[in-house]
Amino acid sequence: MRKAGRALLILLAAAALTLPAASSGASKKKPKKSSEKVARADFDTKLPVLGTKLAEFPPGDGKAIADSACLACHSTDMVRQQRLNEKQWTANVNKMVGWGAEVPENRRAALIAYLVKNFGPDNDRFEAVVTRPVGK
Amino acid sequence: MIQMNGYATDAETPLDALTTYITPNDLFFVRHHWNPAYQDTRRWALTVDGEVERPLRLTLADLRRFRPASATCILQCAGNGRGNYNPVVPGVQWKWGAVGNARWTGVRVKDILDQAGMKGTARHLHTFGADKPPVKTPPFHRSVEIEKILQDGIVAYEMNGEPLMPLHGAPARLVVPGWSGNHWMKWLERISPQLEAQKGFYMETGYRYPNQPGEPGVPVKPEDTSPVTSLFVKSNITEAPAAGKVGAALTIRGFAFSGAPDIAKVEVTDDGGETWQPATLDPQHDPFAWRLWSFRYQPKTAGKAVLAARATDSNGTVQPKVAAWNPSGYLYNAWHSVEIPVTA
Repeated sequence: MRKAGRALLILLAAAALTLPAASSGASKKKPKKSSEKVARADFDTKLPVLGTKLAEFPPGDGKAIADSACLACHSTDMVRQQRLNEKQWTANVNKMVGWGAEVPENRRAALIAYLVKNFGPDNDRFEAVVTRPVGK
Repeated sequence: MIQMNGYATDAETPLDALTTYITPNDLFFVRHHWNPAYQDTRRWALTVDGEVERPLRLTLADLRRFRPASATCILQCAGNGRGNYNPVVPGVQWKWGAVGNARWTGVRVKDILDQAGMKGTARHLHTFGADKPPVKTPPFHRSVEIEKILQDGIVAYEMNGEPLMPLHGAPARLVVPGWSGNHWMKWLERISPQLEAQKGFYMETGYRYPNQPGEPGVPVKPEDTSPVTSLFVKSNITEAPAAGKVGAALTIRGFAFSGAPDIAKVEVTDDGGETWQPATLDPQHDPFAWRLWSFRYQPKTAGKAVLAARATDSNGTVQPKVAAWNPSGYLYNAWHSVEIPVTA
């Protein structure tokens, strides 16, 4: 019964992204179009394994330093989902430098400018990767 | 799963996959601070030291010789819903699904500390996981008040009847029912009763919540904050039809939970909170577990039905319309609503 229930869950999960968007909260994204139901086996095998699909930072002055400073400890996801202003990015870059991120002093301003430009308050480009269930 | 961080792995569960009382292990949200140090179960041991008469070193086989204890309860990341706060705050931008309900089995922390002969001087249980921080990042060391951990704490080696998955802290993790996930130390390798609370970034700076609600966007001094502990009362809508018709009953479903042991009621409004109708609570329940609920609704007019749910816990605390903004974006619990197009 548990497996049957779980199969149903997966079907629901496949359609998960079609639920009407919650009207509370700050989500501004429009609901996605309905997708056809996906069989469990397809769902498990066609979606990527958690942690294997990794996007790059967008091009631009500052990408190289973002690559070398940030990606030793976490993926670009962690940065690309942020919507921070200059003050917030400055505080976070300083925090990360304190925690060991290697940012040459003469490149810190360029890194912050890059982060503000690409992942500032109006950043709405982050789309999380949808993966198969864990352990599959 | 919704990947929030490729590495160190963070992933939340799609909200409408959270429709069963027990969340399956492979759909349970994942939260890592950094890449975990997976343990060799055969070599692993839990060290018990500090304010004890008899320091212990317990292998997994030793733990399994204790009287087993189980708790079915929710685990929620302190930051679940951070991505819904306005003004925005940095951190993993969780929306809804960094929460799940599971049956955790292991050994009561009290039984372990009794065997170690914990001294009456101990006030805080310091907890240590095996994951090591990168570069100069501070270690994720925590402590839990001794009263809470003696009353409810479990060192769990099973999740929903299966050995803990490495992603969830194998071979053993701490379970602290009713408290946020930052207390549920994974890859547990040492517990140590002490006189004072743990020091360090993740106690003194991170995982803290304002003692008094402040203005949105305004920083709060560290001395005006306390560690995040008990969860806030919250309900979410997990299932709703894509469309409705005037006069035709439809059903929405969801879950509700709190840092209190139970949920007293869930209500639904279709007029922005002017009037509320009771939802039906599912009878299945354990202390600090979630309650599933359902609500039948008959649209009266064509257009857009906006249905919002709120929960009231067994302490009488009511889920607020707006979550109290806080600088780290913890414990988001505003009313959750759905919009359903209704045709004549």
